[in-house]
Amino acid sequence: MVAVDVINFKDSDTTIHRKKQETDTYVLGTIHPFRKTHKSILGKFIQEFNLVSSDRRSWKILLFGVLNVICTACLLTWCNSTNSMALTAYTYLTIFDLFSLITCLISSWVSMKKPSQVFSFGFDRFEVLSVFASTVLVQLGALFILKESVERFMEQPEVHTGRLLVGTFVALFFNLLTLLSVKNKPFVYVSEAASTSWLQEHVADLSRSLCGIIPALSSFLLPRMNPFVLINLAGAFALGITYMLIEINNYNAVDTASAMAIALMTFGTMYPMSVYSGKVLLQTTPSHVIGQLDKLLREVSTLDGVLEVRNEHFWTIGFGALAGSVHVRIRRDANEQMVLAHVTNRLHTLVSTLTVQIFKDDWSRPLLVSSVLPAGTHSLSDYIGPSGFLGPSPPPEFSFNTPGRNIQPVVLSSTQQHRPYSLGLAYGSSPYAGMLGQGVGLGMGARMPSVQGYRTSFSAAPQRYGSNPLPSQMNQYRP
Amino acid sequence: MDDKYSSNVISGGKLGRVEVPNARLTRYIVLLLLTKLLKALGIFESYDLLKVVHVVQFLFILKLGCAVILLFFQKPFSSGKMVAKRQWIRILKHAVISSVISLLGFFGLTLCGPLRTLLLFEHSDLVVISLLSVLFTNSGGGPSKTRGAAFFIIAVVCLLLFDNDDLMAKMAEHPEGHHDSALTHALYTGISFLGVADHKGGVVLLVLALCLKVAFHTHSRKLSVEIGGAKRLYALSNLVSSVVLLPWVIVLSSTTESKVESWSSLALPFALIVFSVMVLDFYVESICTAKLEALRCARYGSACLFLSGLLLANFWTHPLTDQLRAMSKSGQQASTEHVLSGGVLVSACFFVMADSILSSPSEKGQKGTLVGYSPEGMPLYNLMGDALQHSSQSLPRFIKDSLKQILEEYDSRQIFYFLCLNLAFTFVELFYGVWTNSLGLISDGFHMLFDCSALVLGLFAALMTRWKATRIYSYGYGRVEILSGFINGLFLMVIAFFVFVESVSRLIDPPNINTVMLAPVSVGGLLVNLVGICAFSHAHSHGASKGSCSSHEHGHSHHGHGTGEHSHTHGHSHGGHSHSHGHGHSHSPGGRSMNANMRGVFLHVLADTMGSVGVIISTVLISQFGWLIADPICSLFIATLIFLSVIPLLKDACEVLLLRTPPEQEKDLNFALEKVQKIEGVLSYRDPHFWRHSASVIAGTIHLQIMSDVVEQRVIQQVTAVLKDAGVNNLTVQVEKEAYFQHMSGLSTGFHEVLAMTQQMESMKYYKDGTCIM
Repeated sequence: MVAVDVINFKDSDTTIHRKKQETDTYVLGTIHPFRKTHKSILGKFIQEFNLVSSDRRSWKILLFGVLNVICTACLLTWCNSTNSMALTAYTYLTIFDLFSLITCLISSWVSMKKPSQVFSFGFDRFEVLSVFASTVLVQLGALFILKESVERFMEQPEVHTGRLLVGTFVALFFNLLTLLSVKNKPFVYVSEAASTSWLQEHVADLSRSLCGIIPALSSFLLPRMNPFVLINLAGAFALGITYMLIEINNYNAVDTASAMAIALMTFGTMYPMSVYSGKVLLQTTPSHVIGQLDKLLREVSTLDGVLEVRNEHFWTIGFGALAGSVHVRIRRDANEQMVLAHVTNRLHTLVSTLTVQIFKDDWSRPLLVSSVLPAGTHSLSDYIGPSGFLGPSPPPEFSFNTPGRNIQPVVLSSTQQHRPYSLGLAYGSSPYAGMLGQGVGLGMGARMPSVQGYRTSFSAAPQRYGSNPLPSQMNQYRP
Repeated sequence: MDDKYSSNVISGGKLGRVEVPNARLTRYIVLLLLTKLLKALGIFESYDLLKVVHVVQFLFILKLGCAVILLFFQKPFSSGKMVAKRQWIRILKHAVISSVISLLGFFGLTLCGPLRTLLLFEHSDLVVISLLSVLFTNSGGGPSKTRGAAFFIIAVVCLLLFDNDDLMAKMAEHPEGHHDSALTHALYTGISFLGVADHKGGVVLLVLALCLKVAFHTHSRKLSVEIGGAKRLYALSNLVSSVVLLPWVIVLSSTTESKVESWSSLALPFALIVFSVMVLDFYVESICTAKLEALRCARYGSACLFLSGLLLANFWTHPLTDQLRAMSKSGQQASTEHVLSGGVLVSACFFVMADSILSSPSEKGQKGTLVGYSPEGMPLYNLMGDALQHSSQSLPRFIKDSLKQILEEYDSRQIFYFLCLNLAFTFVELFYGVWTNSLGLISDGFHMLFDCSALVLGLFAALMTRWKATRIYSYGYGRVEILSGFINGLFLMVIAFFVFVESVSRLIDPPNINTVMLAPVSVGGLLVNLVGICAFSHAHSHGASKGSCSSHEHGHSHHGHGTGEHSHTHGHSHGGHSHSHGHGHSHSPGGRSMNANMRGVFLHVLADTMGSVGVIISTVLISQFGWLIADPICSLFIATLIFLSVIPLLKDACEVLLLRTPPEQEKDLNFALEKVQKIEGVLSYRDPHFWRHSASVIAGTIHLQIMSDVVEQRVIQQVTAVLKDAGVNNLTVQVEKEAYFQHMSGLSTGFHEVLAMTQQMESMKYYKDGTCIM
C-alpha cells in the first residue's frame, strides 16, 4: 500500500512537473524566440554521441564501424587497382553495412530518448528514416553501377584479377561477420516485415524443389532466408565466376555482366525494404492491420449513439506502434463522454496513441435531455462504488483529493482482485438503464434495445482484467 | 515434410490431371527422340548443302519434295470437303508467310551454323509463349518461370557476346559483291547496318524468325481448323509455296551460274533432308502431341534436339563422319567451320535448362486469395477477385490519360516538357555519338539518361500527389512529394560523392583530356538546362522561396572530366533557398507551399547547368593554358557545392518525414496553445501533436480536459478555430471530462491504466485549483 502511494506520488509529481516545465517553456518561447537552441550542430551531435557511447553495447557497434571503414577503404583501393566493376558493386554492400551499423546506433539512441516538445511522437521515426535512407542510397549506388556498366559495354577495359578474389573474400567475411555478430534490430525487423525480394523467392523456390529430393535439408532451407546473407553470398558467387572466367578465358566482359547482376540483386533485395519503410514514412495504414482495424471500427459504429465514424487515420509511428485519430459522429442526445470512453476502450487495444473527436450535429440547439445529463454523472458514482455507498457524498472510487486510496484492495489482495469491478459491473447495466429510463423519457423507446452493446462489453471486461493486454501487446517491436 | 506435402490433396496431384503411366508412352518418347536426332542430322546436312545451293533453290526443292510426299499420303484434293476460293487466298497468304519464315531460318543457318541454329530456332511454341508471357505480363507463373526466362535470355546473350566464332574471320573476307541474289544482299546489308558481326546478325535474325514462327503458328491455327486439319493445310501450303517460289527459282537459275557440279549427287541428301526435317518431324510431332501432353513433348523434343546437335557438332568435322556426310568437301573448309566454343556450350546448357523450366507445367494456374479453411482443414481460395481486378486499360488509352493528367497541372507540366527536351537532346547526342562512333558522346548521353531518372521520379511524384486519398493513404498522397524530394536530395548526395571521389583520384593523377568534342556538347547541354532553369525558377520562386524572393542564386561551376573522350558533366549550384523562418512570415495558413519535389528537381537542373558551364570554362582553361589541374579542382569545388546546397532540402524533408512540429509554425502553435488554455472551461491539455503532413496539410491531435459543466462541442469549435488560425487544418480534438476517466476506469482493465487515469484526474484537480485561485 505504501509502495503504491509512493509510486503514485512520484509519478504524479513528475507529470505535474513536466506540465509546469512545458508551460514555462511556452511562456519563455513567447518572450525569447531564440532560446538556447543555437547550440552548434556539432556540439549537439557530440552530446548525443556521448549519450549513446555511454552504453556498453554500442561500443561493439562502434568497433565494427571503425573496422568497416578500414575495410571499405581497403576494398576501394583494390577496386581501383583491379579496375573491376563487379568488385566495386560488391564494395557498395560493405558500405551498406556501414549504414546499417549507423542505423543500429541510431536505434540505440532512440531507445534512450524521451519524446520532446518538437518531436512529440518520440524519436522512433529516426530509425525508419535511417533504414529508408540507407536502402535508397544503396539502390542509387546500384543505379550508378548500372550506368557505368552500360558505358563499359561500349569499351571494355582490362580487369586485373590479382586482388579480385582476395577482395571478394575479405568483403564476404567481413559482411557476414558484421551481419551475424551485431544485433541489428531495425533491419532485422524490416527484413522480416517487408515482402520477400525476388532473390529470396527464387532461392525459396529452388530450395523447395531441392527439399523434394533431399527432405533432410528442409529445416535448413525452407525457412525464410536472411536477405542480406543471401545477397552477400550471391554476390561472392558472381565474383567467383568472374574471377574464374577471366583467369581461364580472359572474358573481361564477364566482369561488367556480373557487376550488373550484383546491382540488380541489390535492387531486388533493397527495394521491398525501402517500400516498407517508405510506407511508414508516408503515414499509411499498414495493410496487415487493416482487417483488425475494420473489425474494431465496425464494432465502434454499432455502439449506442454512434451514427458514423469518419476521417479515420491510422498509421505507424516507428516500426510497430500504431497511432491514429478518428472522428465519431453521435446522436444529439447521446452521452459524449460515455461514447468517448467506449470508443477509446475498443480502439486502445490496437492503437496506442489515439485521439477521438466526438462530433454532434446541431449541438447548439437546446435538447430535451441536456439538463439531465449532469445528473448522469452523479449516478455514475453509484454504479462504480461498492454496493454500500449511496449518493454523491461518500468518496467515489477515484475521488479527486485522495488519489489511489480506493484502489488498495485491487492492488494488495489478489483474491479480491476484481471484486469491485465485477460488483460494479453487475450493477452496471441496470443503473444505466434506470438512469436512461428516468432521464430520457421521450427517446427511451428507441434507446432501450441498444443498451445491449454496452452490456456485452461489460461482461467481457472482467475476463480481460489483469491480463494487461494494452500497449505492450501492440508494441511487437520493442519488448 | 514429404508426408505433409503429399497429404495435401491439391498439391499431391490427386485432383490434378490424370497422368498416363510412363510405360505406355515409352515408345512415343523413343520415336520422338529418334525423330529429333534425325532432324538434327538433317539440319547439319542442309548446312552443307546450303554452301553450294542457293537458299531459294534449296527451299523450293524442300517444299516441292515435301508437297509431293504429302500429296501422296494426305490426298488433300480427293479427301475432305472442297476448298473455297476465299480459303485458297488464305492458304496463299499462309504459304507466303511460311516460306518467308523458312527463308529467314535457313539464311540464319548459313550465317551461324547448324548448332547455333538448332539452339536458337528449334524451340517449341509453348516455350516461347511462356517466355513472352513472363516477359510482358505480370502473371508469368511464379519465380521458376521467371528463372527460365532469365536463363533463356542469358543463353542468347552468351551466344551474342561470348561466342568467339571462328567463322567471323571467314565472313570478314566475304566480299560484298559475292552475294548470290538481291535477297541475300539485302539481308547482308541490313545486318552490317546494325553494326554487328555476321554470325551475331544471324543470332538476331534467328531470334526474330523464332518469334515470327510462333506468332504465325498460333495465328494459322484457325485456318487449319477451317481447312480441315493441320496436315491438310500443311500439304496444301507446301504445294502453294513451291508454286510461289517457282518463278523466282527460274529467274535465279537463269541469271546466275550454279555452283553445283552434278544435281544427281545431291538427290540423296535432299531426300534425307526432306524426309527428316519436313515430313517425319511434322508427323511425329503431331502424333506425340496427341499422345503425350504438349508440354512433355516440347520438353523431351527440345532437350534431345539440343543434345544431339551438340554431339553432331563435335563429330561433324571428324573423319569418321565423313562417310556419313554426303557432301565430302575439301579439307581446308573444315578449319573455318562453326566450331564448338565455350560460349556455345554454356548457352546450350542454359537453353536446355530454360526449355525444361519453361515447358514444365506451371504449379498454379490462377492466383487465388486465401479465404479460410474448410472443416476438413483444406485451404479455400477465392479466385474471383483477381479476375475482376484485371480490367486493365489498353496501353494507348493509359498513355493518353496520364498525359492529360500530367498536362493538367503546372508543376508536372513543367517537369514533363523539360523531360521531353532533355530526352530529345540525349537521344540526339546518343545517335550522333553512334553515328560518328564517338565514345565520349555516347557515355555523356548515358550520363544524361542517368540524370533524367531524377526528373522521371519528380514527374511521377507530382502526378501521384494528386491521387485521391484511399484507405491506406488516408491523408492523401501529398506526402509522396516530400519523399520524392528526399530521394532526389539523396540522389544529389550520391552524385556529389562520386564526383568527389573521381576528382580526388584525378587530382593525384590528372589525365589528358581531349577537348575537341566537349565544347559543342556542353554548349548544347547548357542551352537545354537554361530553358529548364527558366521554367523551374518560376515554379521555384512560387514554391520554395519563403517570403523573401529567391534572392541570389549563386551558381557554380562544374566539373568535366574525361579520359580520352569521356566527358561527364555534373554540376551544382546553390539554389536560393534563403530560409527566413520566423521572420515576418504571414500568419495565414497555407499562404506558402513548400514543394520539396520541385525543389529537388530544380536543384538537379541547376546542377546540370553549372556542370555545362564548368565544362566550357575548364575546356577553355585547358585548351588555352594547358592547366590540366583545373579540371579536378573544378570538380572538387562542385562536389562540395552540391553537397552544401542539398543539405537544406534534406533537412526540411527530414523534418517533415520525422513528424517534427513544423518549425515555421512553432511560435504560432505555442501562442495558440496558450489561447486554448485560456478558453473558458478548459482545465488543461495533454499530448499535443502537430506535424506537417504534406505541403498543404498540417495535421494535429490534442486531448483537452474540461470542466464537467461545459458543452464539449462549443470547446471543440473554439479550439478548432484557434488552431486553424495557427495553421493546423486537419485537427482532431479529444475532449475529456471527469466522467470520461470514471467510465474508462470502469471499463478498463490493468492496474497501470487505472493509475494513469488517476494521475490524469489528479492533474485536472491541480489545474482546477490553480484556476480557482487565479
